Amino acid sequence: MTLKIDSLEVGYGKRQVVKGANLKVEKGELVGLLGSNGSGKSTLIKTIAGINSHTKGSITWNGGTDLTKLARRDLAKIVAYVPQSIGLSFGLDIREAVLLGRTPYFGTRPRDEDWVHVEAAMQRMGLDELGDRSVTELSGGQGQRVLIARALAQDPEILLLDEPTSALDIRYQWQTLEVARDVTRKKNVAAVIAIHDLNQAARFTDRVVFLQDGVVIADGPPADVYSPELIKRVYGVDVELSVHKGFVQVHPLSDREHSHLGLHSTTSALGHNHHPVKHRDYATA
Amino acid sequence: MSSVHSDPLPPTASPGARRSDDHYTSQKLAIGLGVAAVVITALVGIQIGTSGATLIDVLQTFWAKITGTVPTDRASLLMHNVIWELRLPRVLLAILGGAALAVAGVLFQGLLRNPLVSPYTLGIAPAAAFGASLAIVLFGATAGSAAVSLVIGALLFSFLNTALVLSLASARNLHPTTLILVGIALSQLFGALTACIQYFAEDEVLAAIVRWTWGSVNNSAWYQVLALFVLLALAFPYIRFRSSALNAIAFAGDDSAKSLGVAVSTVRLQTIAIAATLTAVTIAFTGIIGFVGLVAPHIARLVVGANHRFLIAFSAIIGALLLVVADAVGRLVISPGVIPVGIIDALVGAPIFLYLILTRQKAIE
Repeated sequence: MTLKIDSLEVGYGKRQVVKGANLKVEKGELVGLLGSNGSGKSTLIKTIAGINSHTKGSITWNGGTDLTKLARRDLAKIVAYVPQSIGLSFGLDIREAVLLGRTPYFGTRPRDEDWVHVEAAMQRMGLDELGDRSVTELSGGQGQRVLIARALAQDPEILLLDEPTSALDIRYQWQTLEVARDVTRKKNVAAVIAIHDLNQAARFTDRVVFLQDGVVIADGPPADVYSPELIKRVYGVDVELSVHKGFVQVHPLSDREHSHLGLHSTTSALGHNHHPVKHRDYATA
Repeated sequence: MSSVHSDPLPPTASPGARRSDDHYTSQKLAIGLGVAAVVITALVGIQIGTSGATLIDVLQTFWAKITGTVPTDRASLLMHNVIWELRLPRVLLAILGGAALAVAGVLFQGLLRNPLVSPYTLGIAPAAAFGASLAIVLFGATAGSAAVSLVIGALLFSFLNTALVLSLASARNLHPTTLILVGIALSQLFGALTACIQYFAEDEVLAAIVRWTWGSVNNSAWYQVLALFVLLALAFPYIRFRSSALNAIAFAGDDSAKSLGVAVSTVRLQTIAIAATLTAVTIAFTGIIGFVGLVAPHIARLVVGANHRFLIAFSAIIGALLLVVADAVGRLVISPGVIPVGIIDALVGAPIFLYLILTRQKAIE
């Protein structure tokens, strides 16, 4: 059971964003999608989810099924997409927000089976006590859990997470990543997560894929792939690597022009919500 | 996973393992009670007027129509005609018009994901006002013979406006912000055109235009009741069929809705076309009745929640109630004079809405 992306090209109008990306994801595997802003991470994920349409190449599941040719509704039964936490204008209760995940399965009226999936997803995400609350009452972390529960209720075989942690504080970042990893294992889905934090990617993903300018430039377990050269190339930052509890960690080096960034190189390694690498994104653009 | 379960938010009463549609008993009850309330207020509304009427008179009129008999004595015949030709179409137009505007309001708010949106956000009202003004200028300010031309003028420009908004915004994939901005631009344009007419118009014409924009059910006729009824009867099943797609668009956003299998652009185009038609036909008959299309959905959300499966029907009920009551009040306060329903609607509705916003803020945010 493999998600296979082959020479995929995606563009908006004349601008090509993904320019021949190749990627394989096995069932039960969590793959981290890394790269600077504008490298095509989000576009790639949205194309797999059927939100954007591709211009060339193929996305296949399980050897044969061409996901790009499936009807929208059928695709939604295989692929679930978790966006960044978004602001909500109307107060749906949490149970109904999770029920949205069953949209591809029922018409006007949810069936018993749909509610079973909803209750199970809420329980897995620790939301079962909060079902009647309005989503507008939730904290960012809880909101993100509702979005993941919604994706689980979709009963997918492929789970895509588009920077689910960017709006969260460190506690909820770790919760979300733990949940993503656990769900990948227990529900045995093929999971792809777009993520900015290299250390968190090293800590939680099985494999990382670096995108640059719409193509994959490195692919493998974090410990094998991370190197000061690669990170310099992708983000334009000088770093040192270390190993902490068996996980490779990245420490940006301080730099005279940007001395306000990394006063102590360990600051970012400890996971403070402070992305020194982000400040240099334009260097690669 | 332990950290996932340790959030500080205390649990509310847990519903346990509920099955199927048991989740929605209170919503269904609210809709049942709402329908009953509409029927009762309608029956009361029919009795209000200068020549009076009792519930017996109303029922006798219904009975006479059902059996096809006509009252023989003059007094009964007069009462029969007042009820059947004046009161009933007026009350029914208020019910159907209120329902149509409220449903349009729910659809626009959900599709554009914006609680400030009303059926008039896309510029339908100023366009209809321009069409009506043009008709008044061309065919004279007197009602009666001019009524049909007024309706046609208003309808024509409402549809022209909607077609313009949709085709202009489709260049940007019907993005909500684009739709709203195009709507604002066209509102200004048609507002200015109407102002031009008003500026050069004679007093009599000017008065007729202003009267039209107040919005009322004073000139109700059976063909209008029938037209709105047929329109709602056709639109409602479709909207209901789309309720889960509407939920996805309104509560998950365009991208997520697409990933949930919803054809977002198609649904948005079709549903906006329906909402615009409901609005256009209603205001072609009644003039611009503000407020109900904005507020009825909010009141309904406070009662049955935001799920469109129930929200659409319950908004229709609230919209109907608001207009029937406002019209009844409008006929009572300066009797035998009649204050247009659009004015009462906002006068009574605004304080209620303010109260709801300030006391139940969370539900509206």
